[in-house]
Amino acid sequence: MKIRSLGYNIKQGFKNIYRNKMFSLASIATMTACLFLFGVFYSIVTNFQYMVKKAENSVCVTVFFDEGLSDQQKSDIGKNIESRVEVASIHYTSAEEAWSTFSKDYFGQYQDLAEGFKDDNPLASSDSYSVYLNDASMQPTLVTYLENMDGISQVNRSDVMASSLSNVAILVGYASVAIIVILLAVSIFLIMNTVVIGVTVRKDEISIMKLIGATDMFVNAPFVVEGVVIGMIGSIIPLIIIRYMYANIINYVLTKFSILNNILAFLPASSIFRVLTPVTLGVGIGIGFLGSILALRKHTNV
Amino acid sequence: MIILENVTKEYTSGTPALNGIDLRIEKGEFVFVVGNSGSGKSTLIKLLLKELDATSGKIYVNKKYLNKITRKRLPSLRRDIGVVFQDFRLLPDRNVYDNIAFAMKVVEAPSRIIRGRVLAMLSMVGLLDKYKSFPNELSGGEQQRVAIARALVNEPSILLCDEPTGNLDPENSWEIMKILDEINKRGTTVLVVTHNMEIVQAMKKRTITMNNGKIISDVEKGGYFYED
Ligand SMILES: Nc1ncnc2c1ncn2[C@@H]1O[C@H](COP(=O)(O)OP(=O)(O)O)[C@@H](O)[C@H]1O
Ligand SMILES: [Mg+2]
Repeated sequence: MKIRSLGYNIKQGFKNIYRNKMFSLASIATMTACLFLFGVFYSIVTNFQYMVKKAENSVCVTVFFDEGLSDQQKSDIGKNIESRVEVASIHYTSAEEAWSTFSKDYFGQYQDLAEGFKDDNPLASSDSYSVYLNDASMQPTLVTYLENMDGISQVNRSDVMASSLSNVAILVGYASVAIIVILLAVSIFLIMNTVVIGVTVRKDEISIMKLIGATDMFVNAPFVVEGVVIGMIGSIIPLIIIRYMYANIINYVLTKFSILNNILAFLPASSIFRVLTPVTLGVGIGIGFLGSILALRKHTNV
Repeated sequence: MIILENVTKEYTSGTPALNGIDLRIEKGEFVFVVGNSGSGKSTLIKLLLKELDATSGKIYVNKKYLNKITRKRLPSLRRDIGVVFQDFRLLPDRNVYDNIAFAMKVVEAPSRIIRGRVLAMLSMVGLLDKYKSFPNELSGGEQQRVAIARALVNEPSILLCDEPTGNLDPENSWEIMKILDEINKRGTTVLVVTHNMEIVQAMKKRTITMNNGKIISDVEKGGYFYED
C-alpha cells in the first residue's frame, strides 16, 4: 500500500469506529476492564514480590562453632560458607558483640546488672556467623549442608514464613494470569465482532472496491486501523486510571496503617509504569491487531 | 481483447450456467449480449472479472490468462476493466464527485490527478452541475451516468455493462446507450448485456444471443434473434 493511501485508510478506520459506536464502545470497555485488572494485578504482584524479596533478604541462618576452634579454623569455615551459591553474604558476630546485644535487649536500662558479668562473658563461646541467603527457598539445602560441616555445633534456622510467602505470591500470580487470559480472550472476541459488523455494514462498498481493483491490503487497512485504535484507547484509559489510583492508594494505606510501615515497602510509581506502560500498550495494540486480522480472514475473502 | 475457449460454468453440479462457450471479442469492439433471463449473461461477466472461476475451459482478458491469475494480481486485471450494473451501486453516503473520486483513491492514484480526471468524466456524462448531489437526489438515468463515470475514471480498456438500462425509461436508456457508443468511439471495448430489443435493432452492433448457457447466434450489425 502506498503512503498516500495511509491517511485515507486511517480516516476510514476512525469512520468505522464512529459509525459502529456501540460495538466500538463495548470493545473499548472490555479492553479497558481487562487491562485495568492486568495493571492492578501487576502492581499488586510486583509490590508483593518486592516485599517478599525484602523479607527474604533479611532471612538469615545463624551458625555456631564447636568449642575450642581457632580463629583460623573459624575463618576457613567462613570462606567455605561464603562460596556457596545460596549465600548472599555472611557476617561474623564476636562473643563480645553477642553479649552486648543480648544484654542491651535483656537488661535494658538496668545496664549495671550486666556489669556483674563483665569479666566473665556468659556467651564466651557464642560467636557466630549470620548467613544471608539469596532466596528463602534455598534455606533447607543450605541448612543440611551446614549441619554436616565439621566444626559447627549448631545451626539456627530463621522463620520459614518467607518461603511460604513466596508460595502465596506464586499462587496469586497464577490466579491473576488465568483471569487476565480469560479477559484477553473476551477482548479478542469482542474486537473480532466489532470488525465483522464493520465489514458487514460496508459490504457493498467493499465489493465495489474489489471490483474496481483495490488490493486486499487497501481493503483491509481501515479495519486493521479500527482494531488497533480500539486497542490503543482500551490500553491508554486503564493506564491513566491506574496511574492516578496508584499514588492515592499507597498514600492511603501508609497513613491508615502506619503501624505496618516497616513491613509495607512500596515500589515507586515510576518503576511500576516503566514496565506496565509498554506492556499494556503492546498487549492492547496487539490484541486489536490480532482481532481485526482474525475477523478479516473470515469475512473479506470475496 | 477477450477470448473464451470452450468455457463451462456449473454453480452446482448438474445443469451448467454456461455450456461450452467459444467467444472472441477484439479490442475496440462494441458488442451486445442478449438472451432470456437465466441464459448465463451475468455469469459470463462474472467470469471475465474473475469474480467466479470457470469449471472448465480457458479465458483470456487483455492477454491475461484468467485460469492462472493469482489473487495478488487480480487488482491489475480489474483495474483494466470497468463495470456498470443495473442497480448503479453508488455509495449513498457520498456525493457524485466523491463517488467518482473514490474509484481513483481505491486504486491509489496520485491525488494531484484525481480532480482533473473526475471533472473530465463528469463533463463527458453531462453531470458537471450535479457534482455535489447525493445519489438519492438524482434520477435513475443520472445515477447510471455517475456509475459510468466511475467505471471509466481509471481509464480501463474494457467496459462491461450488465443490463445498464434495465431500470430506466426509454428516453434515459437511449441517453445511456449514446454515452456508451461515444466511449466505444474513443477506443474502449464495450460489452453490453441488455433486454432492450428496440435499441439493439437500432444501433446495428455485433449482437450475441444466448440461450441455456450457449451462444445460439452471433451476428455483425445488429438484429435480435430471440424467441421465447
Ligand atoms: N450464485 C448462483 N448459484 C447457483 N446458481 C446460479 C447462481 N447465479 C446464477 N445461477 C444460475 O445460473 C444460470 C445463469 O444465471 P445468470 O448468469 O444470472 O443469467 P442471466 O444473467 O442471463 O439472467 C441461471 O440458471 C441461474 O439460476
Ligand atoms: Mg443477469
